[in-house]
Amino acid sequence: MLENLQQSLEAFDLALFWEYRAVLLPGLLYNFYVFFLTVGVAVGLGLVAATLRLSSNVVLRWIGTGYAELCRNTPEYITLIWIFYVPPLLLSAALDRNVSFSPLLAAVIALGLASSGYFTETFRAGISSVPRGHIEAARALGMSRSLTMWRIVLPQAVRHMLPEAMNQMVSLFKSTTLVSLIAVPDLLYQVSLVSNATSKGLPLYSGAALVYFLIIFGFATLAQRFSDPWRQRSR
Amino acid sequence: MSEVGVTSTGRVVVKVVDLHKYFGSLEVLKGVSLEVHQGDVLTLLGASGSGKTTLLRCINHLEQPNSGEIWVDARPMGFRIDAAGRRRRAREADVNALRMDIGMVFQQFNLWPHMTVLENIVEAPLRVRRWPRRDVHERAMALLEKVGLVDKKDQYPSRLSGGQQQRVAIARALAMQPKVMLFDEPTSSLDPELIGEVLGVMRALAEEGTTMIVVTHEIGFAREVSDRVIFLHNGLIEAQGTPEEVILNPTSERSRQFFSKILH
Repeated sequence: MLENLQQSLEAFDLALFWEYRAVLLPGLLYNFYVFFLTVGVAVGLGLVAATLRLSSNVVLRWIGTGYAELCRNTPEYITLIWIFYVPPLLLSAALDRNVSFSPLLAAVIALGLASSGYFTETFRAGISSVPRGHIEAARALGMSRSLTMWRIVLPQAVRHMLPEAMNQMVSLFKSTTLVSLIAVPDLLYQVSLVSNATSKGLPLYSGAALVYFLIIFGFATLAQRFSDPWRQRSR
Repeated sequence: MSEVGVTSTGRVVVKVVDLHKYFGSLEVLKGVSLEVHQGDVLTLLGASGSGKTTLLRCINHLEQPNSGEIWVDARPMGFRIDAAGRRRRAREADVNALRMDIGMVFQQFNLWPHMTVLENIVEAPLRVRRWPRRDVHERAMALLEKVGLVDKKDQYPSRLSGGQQQRVAIARALAMQPKVMLFDEPTSSLDPELIGEVLGVMRALAEEGTTMIVVTHEIGFAREVSDRVIFLHNGLIEAQGTPEEVILNPTSERSRQFFSKILH
């Protein structure tokens, strides 16, 4: 009984995590690395797809919608593995030479695709939340389409979509822990390496959980602080 | 064009010729023609669905008519005649350029909520007209003075009452120094106690000789301020003339019915 308890307590022995910090913490850099690259890809693709979804052309609208739904409704886990293995195979066959994706590249493409689906929806909703009358007022004053978009629509749309986009970035950061699956050496991957080598995995996972929690909680709090006052102004 | 009951002799600022407009299969304008001279106040009256708002929105091309012509300040709105004499759709830049000379005030005010009162007013003069900043700000302040809202210049629209918002919207339109002002039911979404302040500003504009086309349900205002009134029914001009002729002594049965309901 007492032994059991002691064993469970050992699972929280963060000293072990600290002992291996030189191996573990550089892994964290990879989480940030993947995160920032993926945000770039996801926001870029999301903007393109949102523009398609808002187009007056039915075919373009349909393509945008199809893309967003495909991205949103496929589990990231599967997208990740699929992107890592399948496109290189297809490219190899097509180009008749050996093509492979580095784990980092595959991770950024896969997570970028997956979350771009959500960003598409957020951007579209943000842009269409701007009342038609505000646009008409601008056009009636002689403002061009692009000036109206830039000065009237986007500033309001960004305020509307900010909290939602922040949430999506937080979950994107969580998703970066998936990349250990295809051997991107992030924190979780390092944890599993050390844990295999030392057979004392549990405290390491506890440590990783705590580190991830602190980062994500900090990020979410900052996001809220940052977006609240900015939103207020538009009321 | 004949001058039906027109008191002024100024040049024509807005000319509409045989305008037709469909929404799907519904014909909302069935061939409307009119002229507005410089300094005139024209009021469009009629039941809802008579086409008066659509007519107004066609003049600055927020709605595109299916056929007919609109001329603003002797320039074609929304169409051009190509070298072969054929009628073509206007270039967007030409439509935008002509819109600078047409002020519009909406029922829902449509101020931009992310900009202060002053920013709302100077936006188009600075970025569309590209007038010098100092002149634009000076004139904006003069306009705020005129509509009685100088102390609100740094407020966001959400902090203003409906009447104040509409007065800012009028100042915003005037800041472009338009040749004609269009008012689309400017008091219809205001609480009754706020209607007077907006009509007061409009009355002052009319007295200064601003060319105005007003869609309204305020019959008292129409009688007092208009040089000419047009009564629309089912997309056609049913009656037109001076306020006395159209409102007080209606000759057509439909306008008699309409005005007797409103006046009593």
